[in-house]
Amino acid sequence: MYLTRDEERILDGEQGPSKKKAMELLVALGDIYKAERLISIASAQVSGASFKTIGEAGIKWLEGMSMDARATVPAMVNPLGLDMKRWRSMGISPEFHSRQERIIAAYEAMGLLPVYSCTPYLTAHKPRSGQHIAWAESSATVFANSVIGARTNREGGPSALAAAIIGKTAEYGLHLDENRVPRVQIKLEHVPEELTPIAGYLTGKIAGNRIPMVTGFRMTKDQHKSFGAAVAATGAVSMYAFEAKGGADKHGDQSYEETVEIGVSDLNRCADELKGGEEFDLVAIGCPHCSTDELREMAGRLKGKKPRGNADVWFCTSREAYAACPEAVSVLRGFGQVLCDTCMVVAPIEELYRSTATNSGKAMMYLPSLGRQKASFRTTDELLEAISR
Amino acid sequence: MGGVDPSTGEILDRDSGSQGRSVCDSILCFPYGRGSTVGSYAIYQLKLNGKAPAAMVNQSAEPIVATGAIISDIPMVDGIDTSLMVSGDDVLVDASNGVAEIKGVEEQCVVTSILRNNGKILILRRSGEVRSYRGQWAGVSGYIEEGESDLDAAIREVMEEANVKVADPVRRIRPESFRSGNTVWTVHAFLFDVPSRQVSTDWEHDEHKWIGPEDLPGFDLVPGLDVVVGMLLGRVNQ
Repeated sequence: MYLTRDEERILDGEQGPSKKKAMELLVALGDIYKAERLISIASAQVSGASFKTIGEAGIKWLEGMSMDARATVPAMVNPLGLDMKRWRSMGISPEFHSRQERIIAAYEAMGLLPVYSCTPYLTAHKPRSGQHIAWAESSATVFANSVIGARTNREGGPSALAAAIIGKTAEYGLHLDENRVPRVQIKLEHVPEELTPIAGYLTGKIAGNRIPMVTGFRMTKDQHKSFGAAVAATGAVSMYAFEAKGGADKHGDQSYEETVEIGVSDLNRCADELKGGEEFDLVAIGCPHCSTDELREMAGRLKGKKPRGNADVWFCTSREAYAACPEAVSVLRGFGQVLCDTCMVVAPIEELYRSTATNSGKAMMYLPSLGRQKASFRTTDELLEAISR
Repeated sequence: MGGVDPSTGEILDRDSGSQGRSVCDSILCFPYGRGSTVGSYAIYQLKLNGKAPAAMVNQSAEPIVATGAIISDIPMVDGIDTSLMVSGDDVLVDASNGVAEIKGVEEQCVVTSILRNNGKILILRRSGEVRSYRGQWAGVSGYIEEGESDLDAAIREVMEEANVKVADPVRRIRPESFRSGNTVWTVHAFLFDVPSRQVSTDWEHDEHKWIGPEDLPGFDLVPGLDVVVGMLLGRVNQ
């Protein structure tokens, strides 16, 4: 890979050991993917923020880097293992909390923004179309590539941090035009809105590592959020293409390796298979983090009702969305906890609950493995009905 | 990753073939990693616990392992055929130059030519006079001599051992390496079509046969011959 003289100097350690390490990471990944050069990025988004996912080793590495490394572009962080204000009522142990605090301190020392969310594109930093960025969270990456038209690979935690420190990333994969071409067509017809995450779940499975072209399904921004999160969870792909307004094919007329139709009956069958048990001790909504619109809409449906059932309820969102709709938050708080900076995927849920119901296609992938939960898929309506009367 | 106990360095993964061994201070050789970003931190945790490998050798590096190696300051090389290494080998790793050398193991570059006539291929049984693989069936084989190209060596050997004049191969494959004891045989293989089945062998072979490629498994073959023939004839690797 070609390096400029300045980049060479950083690699030689002239700007300190942490910057050298960051540059080594970018160069190693560039070599693996046969990148020709490094390119400047507009922002970074770093995963590996929950103590649950990175452990003691992660803390030590971040603390080591934070001795002398600083972010040189706007950089956000993925959700934490807890809500820093409400961790006690979540049932998180003081031991977990103290380790989580060290992780936050390391990130903040490096100048990362205190944005602990998988949806930074909604509030903190919305990239522009065509901009290169280095984001790690899979659901944010897929939204940025597919809906915004920004360009990012799905970075790993350390490589996204390295990119934040250097302000660059290696030019390969989805940064290049030739790798952004859809190869499989997914025909979705008459998808009921509440099965959007299931449509994403199936699309990701069929796509595998191929970018899908999704036709016949017009989505709102919030639908794209939950659809894309599921695509990126079940597929090894960080982008999908879809028909632009007016039905014209964004990517022109082209032939696909394969065309697969997903009908309503396929969606219903998949939703049935993911239904799981009838009993759950947690209802978890907000994977990806709820938008302000979603919080308001749920509050509108719950207003005037009374809470029902024994299950705990988590509405997971970003600090920014929480602050933007205090009235909706106060309605939702009558039915459960509205949590910021965390979610059911990265919180130590296995220490708190055994079975969880969620409306998220992405969470349905991770709750059984990472969270050791019996997981039940329910539509948003079904969940709201289960917790209210 | 996740297949190694971070506190002891013991390999837990049953599919690895090395279950129960420790990676601590070893040269850890494996084709490629798999898993999530957490795998990079698992390598770093080994380092913190003093149980990390001294170096890592990969067939093809992928981001998880490469990231783990860098954040843990573990020298790593890739692009190495790890199937040539066996547990217990003494391996010297030079990460600055991307080289891994198996101590006490020598590489021998040889040619093997498959002669084909009307769908049948020629195999020869190695005589009791040759140094290696006596009594086993092979193609027309021999060492590449100093200063000689592999094609020249193949043409020379076909003349010496079978008394057949060949010129242009129908097909050649990328050299394939096989480990046998303390030798790595790097085989440069060629396929020649010949107009007749008339051959006369020298002292190196005591018998020869023209057979259908599908009959190969019935013979006691030198290592790798089945793979080489499969590739030359455009079949799927076995």
